[in-house]
Amino acid sequence: MNLRAVVFAALVASAAAPAPLLAQAITSRGFLEGVGYWFPQTTSNDDVHIVGDLLAREEVFARAADWLRFAGGVDFRANSHDQVESDWRVDFQDRGVLRPRLSVRRLSATINKGGFNVDAGKQFIRWGKTEVVHPTDRFAPSDFINVISSEFLPVFGVRASFQHEGDTIEGVLTRFTPSRVPLLDQRWTAVPEEAAGIPLVDAGAMYPTGPQTGVRWSHVGAGVEYSASFFNGFNHLPNILSALDPSPALLLTRAYPAIRAYGGDLALPTKWLTLKAEAEYFTLRQTDAASAVPTDDYILYVVEFERQKGEWVFIGGYAGEVVTEQRLAVAFAPDRGMTKSFVGRASYTIDPRRNLAVEAAVHQNGRGLYVKGEYSQTYGSHLRLTLDGVGIAGEDDDFIGQYHRNSNVSVTLRYSF
Amino acid sequence: MSRPDRSGGSRRSGTRWGWGPSAIGKKLAPPQLEKKLTATFLISALLIVVAGATPTAENAREIVAESQKRTDAKSQRYEGLLQVFDAKGKVADKRWTFERLGAHGQSKSVLRFTVPAEVKGVALLVVNHPDRASDQWMWTPALERDRRIALQDRSTRFFGTDFSFEDLEERDVDQFDYTLAGDDAVDGAPCWKIQSTPKQTKSSQYTRSLVWIRKDNYALARIENFVKDEIVRRLAYSDIRNIQGIWTARQLEMADLRRGSRTRLTLDKLEYNVPLKDDDFTLQAIRRQ
Repeated sequence: MNLRAVVFAALVASAAAPAPLLAQAITSRGFLEGVGYWFPQTTSNDDVHIVGDLLAREEVFARAADWLRFAGGVDFRANSHDQVESDWRVDFQDRGVLRPRLSVRRLSATINKGGFNVDAGKQFIRWGKTEVVHPTDRFAPSDFINVISSEFLPVFGVRASFQHEGDTIEGVLTRFTPSRVPLLDQRWTAVPEEAAGIPLVDAGAMYPTGPQTGVRWSHVGAGVEYSASFFNGFNHLPNILSALDPSPALLLTRAYPAIRAYGGDLALPTKWLTLKAEAEYFTLRQTDAASAVPTDDYILYVVEFERQKGEWVFIGGYAGEVVTEQRLAVAFAPDRGMTKSFVGRASYTIDPRRNLAVEAAVHQNGRGLYVKGEYSQTYGSHLRLTLDGVGIAGEDDDFIGQYHRNSNVSVTLRYSF
Repeated sequence: MSRPDRSGGSRRSGTRWGWGPSAIGKKLAPPQLEKKLTATFLISALLIVVAGATPTAENAREIVAESQKRTDAKSQRYEGLLQVFDAKGKVADKRWTFERLGAHGQSKSVLRFTVPAEVKGVALLVVNHPDRASDQWMWTPALERDRRIALQDRSTRFFGTDFSFEDLEERDVDQFDYTLAGDDAVDGAPCWKIQSTPKQTKSSQYTRSLVWIRKDNYALARIENFVKDEIVRRLAYSDIRNIQGIWTARQLEMADLRRGSRTRLTLDKLEYNVPLKDDDFTLQAIRRQ
């Protein structure tokens, strides 16, 4: 199936719609954001202490008719530490190692009639209900150039749904979009001391071909919400294939396992707390035994509780993993790396302009700890200042602990318009 | 005790039951006027006697039911300006658009922020039920996710305003028990003062409320909400105007008496019975921006 053709046809059909169209209602939103990070410590592959980041985003939403809407959005980025491409091409695919300078964040048409809804184009598709780890969120790759400050990436495809009373059935067809992994020559690729002298070389990626599909049924009841989902596609987090070059250098290639995943989520408000849970079973889809990218079969699950009280919001829970079949593979897997952990977040609204928040994750074996504190304040209607402090501790063989030299403080200034 | 004015409230020309000053001057010659006045006086007197003899007006529940009935509309739309004040003065302005489909106890509403820029697009879907607390979901564009607002979270302030999530629900007459607590005046307007207590099926942060309903047009004038014996929030209605036959407060001011802050909501471009579709009041719909 040619996914591009399907999406293009949907977009053209939308655009060809009869036109008292010209935007009966157009809204837009955007912001200009500057972030400055200070890392007190260097790492074996990164001696830069200060990193500056700039992001300008503009999104436009047009309602052409009651049943037809369009959305478009672009990002412009700059960075002081070579995390952004230097050329000025407009990126649509989100497959580069570096963040694109100019990229299309969203470009989609939405058609709705009765309970039917179709979104076609570049868009965000989010599944699941939990806040900290999202096992069922299979169409939501992320940018992990900064692992603890990741950002979701859009996907290109079609999402069709039908809602009848409390039930919604949803079908998704997308082109594969990988998560962006940390840069090999920067601090979020943790290099063991013993390998510090060997250059790491990016040997590119083996992107899978073929579409990804998913189906989700969700039910919203009087006192409970739940859903069941099925995913047939590829893990957006790569296996890392390595080869030693005689130069010497370690050549690292990204490869993406073909997987099927079966999952469900639940939100159950009780008198005192809201229980949220999510679980997903991942299994290798052996498309071609010879070229298959191996991955374990495993279950990821999260159980968390939420409570708001006065100006406080509390979220706390546990993320776990059960491996049902182990296969030899080295992978960049922050989703699995954050499991077997207790996670929590508390936020406090001081007043309409000021907020405080603390979040933390600690591995149950005590080998990795992450704590982040945040203070945020608005000035007028447009400006927000955010101060963050991140502390990371632990051991080199732990997913969180390996970043123990990446504790940092940051200042973010965002002008929204 | 005044009689219910089913025509939509008192005329502001003095007598309550019939005609306005423009009708006197423009259409009626003096002899006709005299006859008209006499007839009006007699009819009014008769109606007052009848009203006085009717016990229903003494019934707190019936007063509230009549008040609710008079605000019945198939739908409603307005643009709201929210001004948040702390003890020192104005802190923030927010704007939202509000659309409601259906009437009390059966309605659905969507509230969507338009200002300030950083919360633009945030939407709240409220589905009211006649026999229990409403269901509420919030859509946050920055996360591309909706989130159910749990019952126990309804006492939380809504987006830094002095309205809680529960305050955004529609009150339905059948969800409370009532007792008449006497007569009082609000801004010079005679009112019934009624105590309402949530029924067990209505989960509420408030132990009870005192509701002031104007006698001249059955419009809400004030609500004081209590937790145990402490008054915690006061909602004052003002700038009450007749809009499409419905007496409507154009300004609502919610005071959080524990914090010393208040939020003023001013309703602009208010319309009733606008054509709205059921499909626009779903979880799918609030995702559409």
